[in-house]
Amino acid sequence: MSEQQAEVTTDYEPRIVAFLCKWCSSAGSDLAGVSRIQYPSNATPITVPCTGSISPNYILSALKKGADGVLVSGCHIGDCHYIEGNFLARRKIHLVKELLGFVGIEQDRFRMSWVSAAEGAKYSQVIKDFVEDLRPLGPQTKVKAGRS
Amino acid sequence: MINLQDMRDTARNMLAKNEVRGVIGYRRSTNGMLAEPVVITKPEQADELIWDPTCFHNLSLYLVEDRKFLAHTRAKADLPIAIIAKGCDARSTVVLMQENYFERKDVYIIGVSCEGTGVLDERKLVKKGIRATNSAFDGDDFVFTTEQGEQRIPAREVMADRCLECRECFPKEHNIVLGEDKTGRQLDAPFTALKRFEELDPAARWEFWDHQFERCIRCFACRSVCPMCYCDECIVDSTSFPVTGQTTADEKANRVKWIERSATRAENMTYHMTRVLHLAGRCIDCNECERVCPVNIPLRLLNNKMEREAREQFGYEPGASIGGPSLTASFLDTDPGKFIR
Ligand code: SF4
Ligand code: SF4
Ligand code: SF4
Repeated sequence: MSEQQAEVTTDYEPRIVAFLCKWCSSAGSDLAGVSRIQYPSNATPITVPCTGSISPNYILSALKKGADGVLVSGCHIGDCHYIEGNFLARRKIHLVKELLGFVGIEQDRFRMSWVSAAEGAKYSQVIKDFVEDLRPLGPQTKVKAGRS
Repeated sequence: MINLQDMRDTARNMLAKNEVRGVIGYRRSTNGMLAEPVVITKPEQADELIWDPTCFHNLSLYLVEDRKFLAHTRAKADLPIAIIAKGCDARSTVVLMQENYFERKDVYIIGVSCEGTGVLDERKLVKKGIRATNSAFDGDDFVFTTEQGEQRIPAREVMADRCLECRECFPKEHNIVLGEDKTGRQLDAPFTALKRFEELDPAARWEFWDHQFERCIRCFACRSVCPMCYCDECIVDSTSFPVTGQTTADEKANRVKWIERSATRAENMTYHMTRVLHLAGRCIDCNECERVCPVNIPLRLLNNKMEREAREQFGYEPGASIGGPSLTASFLDTDPGKFIR
């Protein structure tokens, strides 16, 4: 490994945009906070009413604005506050994920998880794993809008 | 074999008896060999109609145009409009009705079976160095009139890829139909072109798409020609955010804009990803988008990718039934979820 590469890998902190549903995952991240569970601060949370309300454009937009990874997290199947929102999300997000992979964007840059309001520890683990998986990929430049 | 006279007689009779407002079909263009879409409204125009391998346009686009025109002029149509529909055109008409764009009674579908073949891919003909002035179906062949005389070519050598892979070359939804049902005559397995592409590794796929997205000039021809792209206001337009002399810098900065107009790679890419996601479960592979693209962006690969995901993962077939659920507004308990942590 050349010196320059080594420098990049140590200095590089992946930036994650996390779309969290209001009822479960957002509350789960809160719980992680109030329980004083340590986890990396790489994720910028954005609370949405429901994973079912997430347009693929949220995800594309985050990547375009330079996010290195995007997380979508919501209630476990069966626990959706709106009964079926996460079922709809599961289908839609599957398509987004497949499409990103199809055009050659690393599939590890995109992640979906179910985190309930009681799963603060799981939330911290999801973020930790995501950061670790993103690190070797380096900064995301494929979708990011250049200002050239 | 489809008898052109039957098609013309059907159109003539319906117009003469005042059963339809017009018939959307094909006529000879001034360009020589190629057909072009036409709407005829008088019985005596029926003889303008033609049917040959260059009738590749998806005419259901004009059902959408018709509806938009009616809405715009606040006119009410008491008669249906007739459309000459191949298998793919009929499927897109079904999607439009499934989405309540118009009702079944508003259209009269004159189905035409593609029988053993399909339509021509002009690019393949050009590659063969053939300059024709006319083309005709004849069994499994296309017959071209050239300066050197008649030239007979096996259809599969110059047919559009989508026709080679066609899942249903017979318009299931129709009022009347011309030609025989030869569904199952698939010449290539569905998604053959897609499979070939997917054999590339992710880095090579990215290199390919990076180049394609860079090249797109964002003329939006692919959007204009698609019968499913009927939204009055597309996500890439900013018509609801007019910028006037009074618009403040703050207002400009704060308006939501998912995709900028500039034809840079990142914006183009966002446009194409959005386009194909908005068409998932709705695109019926008429391939008009790719045909009209002035710079040959291989849009069919993206469309097909979504179509195959829908079919294999969710058992969903676009354009299959008017009353059926739509792909992204429905779900099954068995939908794949292994990718979720
Ligand atoms: S895609 Fe099928 S139905 Fe459409 S023109 Fe080709 S063969 Fe005919
Ligand atoms: S893909 Fe082709 S038709 Fe579509 S906007 Fe780009 S250049 Fe135009
Ligand atoms: S996206 Fe292309 S192939 Fe699909 S329906 Fe629209 S024009 Fe036809």
